Amino acid sequence: MAAVARVKVRRPGTGRVIGDRFVGRALRIYLPLLVMLVVTLFPFYWMAITSFKSASELFDFSVSPLWVREPTLDWYRHLFTQTNFPRWAFNTAIVAIASTLISLFCSILAGYSLARLRYRGADTIGWGIFVTYLVPPTLLFLPLTFVIRELHLFNNLWALILTYPTFLIPFCTWMLMGFFKGIPRELEEAALVDGATRIQAMVRIAIPLALPGILAAALFAFTLSWNEFLYALIFMNDSLVKTIPVGVTQELIHGDEFFWGELMAAALLGSVPVAVLYSFFVDYFVAGMTAGAVKG
Amino acid sequence: MGTAVRAKTAPAWHRRRVRIYDREAPLGYLLLAPTLVVLGIFLLYPFLFGIWLSVTDSELGNLGSFIGLDNFRFEWRNTDGVFYTAVVNTFLYTGITTVFKLSLGLIMALLLNQAFPFRRFVRAALLLPYIIPTVLSYEAWRWMFDPTFSVINWLLVNTHLAPYPGPNWLGVPFNAMAALMIVNVWRGTPFYAIAFLAGMQVIPVDLYEAARVDGATRWQQFTNITVPMLRPVLLVVLLLSTILTFADFQGPFVLTNGAPYNSTQLLSIWAYQWGIPGGAISLGAAISLVLFPLLTLVVAGVLFLLRRPE
Amino acid sequence: MTQGNRAKSGWSRREFLKTAGVAAATIAFPEIIISCGPQSSSTPTATIPKPRKGASIRLLQWTSFVKPADDEFVRQAQEWGAANGVTVAVEKVTGDQLQPKTAAAVEAGSGPDIIQMEYAWPQLYTDSCLDVSNEVNILIGKLGKPDPVNEAFCKVNGVWRAIPYTIVPNAWTYRTDYFQQAGVTSFPKTWDELTTAAGKLKATGKPISQTDGHAYGDSLTMWNPVLWGFGGKEVNADGKTVAINSKETRDAIRWAQGAVKAGLVVHPEWLDPDNNQAYHADRISGTLNGASIYIREKIEFHHYTDVTNNAPMPSGPKGTFAMNLIFNHAVMKWSPDAETAKAMLLALMEKDSYLKWTTVASGYNVGPFDAFHNDPIFAADPKLKAFEDVVAPGKWPGWPASPSKKTAQSQTQYIVADMFAKALANGGTGDIEAAVGAAETSLKAIFERP
Repeated sequence: MAAVARVKVRRPGTGRVIGDRFVGRALRIYLPLLVMLVVTLFPFYWMAITSFKSASELFDFSVSPLWVREPTLDWYRHLFTQTNFPRWAFNTAIVAIASTLISLFCSILAGYSLARLRYRGADTIGWGIFVTYLVPPTLLFLPLTFVIRELHLFNNLWALILTYPTFLIPFCTWMLMGFFKGIPRELEEAALVDGATRIQAMVRIAIPLALPGILAAALFAFTLSWNEFLYALIFMNDSLVKTIPVGVTQELIHGDEFFWGELMAAALLGSVPVAVLYSFFVDYFVAGMTAGAVKG
Repeated sequence: MGTAVRAKTAPAWHRRRVRIYDREAPLGYLLLAPTLVVLGIFLLYPFLFGIWLSVTDSELGNLGSFIGLDNFRFEWRNTDGVFYTAVVNTFLYTGITTVFKLSLGLIMALLLNQAFPFRRFVRAALLLPYIIPTVLSYEAWRWMFDPTFSVINWLLVNTHLAPYPGPNWLGVPFNAMAALMIVNVWRGTPFYAIAFLAGMQVIPVDLYEAARVDGATRWQQFTNITVPMLRPVLLVVLLLSTILTFADFQGPFVLTNGAPYNSTQLLSIWAYQWGIPGGAISLGAAISLVLFPLLTLVVAGVLFLLRRPE
Repeated sequence: MTQGNRAKSGWSRREFLKTAGVAAATIAFPEIIISCGPQSSSTPTATIPKPRKGASIRLLQWTSFVKPADDEFVRQAQEWGAANGVTVAVEKVTGDQLQPKTAAAVEAGSGPDIIQMEYAWPQLYTDSCLDVSNEVNILIGKLGKPDPVNEAFCKVNGVWRAIPYTIVPNAWTYRTDYFQQAGVTSFPKTWDELTTAAGKLKATGKPISQTDGHAYGDSLTMWNPVLWGFGGKEVNADGKTVAINSKETRDAIRWAQGAVKAGLVVHPEWLDPDNNQAYHADRISGTLNGASIYIREKIEFHHYTDVTNNAPMPSGPKGTFAMNLIFNHAVMKWSPDAETAKAMLLALMEKDSYLKWTTVASGYNVGPFDAFHNDPIFAADPKLKAFEDVVAPGKWPGWPASPSKKTAQSQTQYIVADMFAKALANGGTGDIEAAVGAAETSLKAIFERP
């Protein structure tokens, strides 16, 4: 929308208008988009093709590997009948949604507090929250295991729901601090002068204005939880409480033989539906915000 | 610091600030409380424990005793050079991929912010690499790079871009580093793009309208409005991405695990090899914390930059 | 244990319970005799562990290549559980994932009751593994001498910390049609013959190929035996003095360089699945691997089953050596029902059930006691014989030093494989001295570290 508006606003006589409509626009937008799409999607095309190939066709490069000659749905069928894939997808969704909500709740409040309120120690705390990222999870998981044991959360989805926020909150908080800072202070101060409380100003003015940031933070949090591997591997034991990344690798890789068709089928099923869901969210925040709450 | 400046120039403001300052402290802490509780329980102990481990001679299952900086000294003196290879590779890996992810992510966000047909589909598609479970996409990439079954090489050879059998992606040190970086950029770019796209939404449209009235070109609008307005988001994303890339383990572990002969060794893998399969957990902790002081400075610096324009 | 009474050693659960039930019937089995060796079937004093009704046992192990074998293992465990009122859960993770899961359990001091130990894990996690000398002695009484490699890994400072479980033997799988085409009538018996054969096979366009990269299994099982075959070693038997910098090491590297120049293709980028895939795709004529390639050809692809054969390790001037994957089961110290766990492991190692399991495993696994030698599965398919043959010359990483934390570190840092890989870079023309020097420095860093 914005681009169309922009073209209309541009005054005749500033030049390049005609070129801009066709060649210019193609070169400026469509060509780079096409290149990006091809590079981004090729691995997915390859996964999709792989997931429809029989085991023997998979290793046959004598003819073009880019197409499938005898498509088979065996891998998908196997995935749904022989493994707990639907259950893993369900677990993954539950964990991702719950930990995203917890993280958003915490980081909206914390981000607002650190960005907007003035009190002793705010800088130090903000800094401290981020510094925790510097200890890599490849080792952090060992002492964390001890905490999970003390809380009796092994083999319980709560272990993931509660630990994922540790790597989500710091980033979301900082991201939202940035957004809250971008909102003109005067808007809230006007509300305060009108008799609103701080909390009211936050809920009614700051949070709606920071919505694109909140949605972006939600996307990150959801995606990171959706993909998380190490904690899910360590804390979950039974097949019924596994998440997609852990369940799929554990039950579809046998010793030194990989079952590519099934692995790739699982990879696609584990990502494409979420991507479709995302596209609606992304559209929502892009469209919603260009409508221009900020203008007011 | 904003307060201080204002205090000098406007005493009236000052008085009001102080009043709000007093009132804001309890609320500030209250709003922080949920975050501090979650992080305190699940992060503080492991974090401190990790630091403590690095200055002990602990092994897996045996808590050791304090030995000062011996673990760091051990790596520092390590004459076979694996440690230094890992340090250099980690910097290269982080630096180069960050430059690509940042610029490609910005371009992607600018493109996605335009109107074009099938926009919804395109947005979803470009997000895919970031959404797909990492372990699985890395396995797929490994297979695409496998010299025997490299579909990439098949394409290169069949389009006559490379002579048969095509480059050995993971078996030659230079190529293997490049392959690691390609996959990281492929996966990481959408992360930047989403953040920038969100950042662009809160830039007031009037700014662009005013600039256009003043006859600013698109490029001028980009450098004078978009980039400065994106700064807070950009810094946070950059910082987070840098730290996560520094510690990136899964991708390199699946793709090369340091092979060929440690030429793609990274600090994260090296720490893991000592700490988990080697059982020398204290040394592993020391290796992964070796850049802690440096990264802390970087974080502090970015925090400073982020706060300045109030 | 002699051939004769082995037939009787099928040691059914009922008998077992009966024995356990009679309170006084603990069988004498003095420690001294065990340490003298396995000639010991007579005088037992071991206490047979009793399962506790209502206990629940969790066992963690890797996902084996042969899925039906995993299923059979679970079935047996659960059958035993049902008969004894014990809930049994078997959790399977990939080989890569087993180590971090084990490390987490050790660090937290809680987790599965039984963990499958790979290679030198009993040395790494000694304090977390219960002493199972009593149970191993019972098994020795029933099944005879344990495999020396399993014993080396299980026994830490004279105490058994794990119960020998299985060996995944590694042998050469090759294409008889390409070998014939190249004029090679049988698989090479020595490393030098392998060089010649590799040269001839390269001409067919289907080379003999192997990894020299960071492959968890295949890289170690190839380059350690090459090193040993020429008399090289990482460290002396004392487990302290680094001995890689020797003429023998250089001989081994020179052989490897010659073989690569002649036509052996090494892939530093290959991980464990890659040679399997290359073989299934008709890209290579031979490679060193577990029986998985052959088994998958035989039961799934059927493309090259008839033209595939397997062969044991070639010999070097200093003898024949092999390296196999070694798995053992440890009962962890945090288990609330350690006795039940031990009883279950004993039941699973019982000859009848064990052989049932190896039959389902189709030759992928070999039993770690004398009683399991001449397993009928290897007689059923003569092509599998090679996998049985590589068990006897098997050694462990770090040999001739005993397995230790240090040998585990050198193993998981791929120091031997990297040494070869460096010398084999650029078509086998890497700098030998630089490769040996780097390996020596790395080994010294490990073995001289306090």
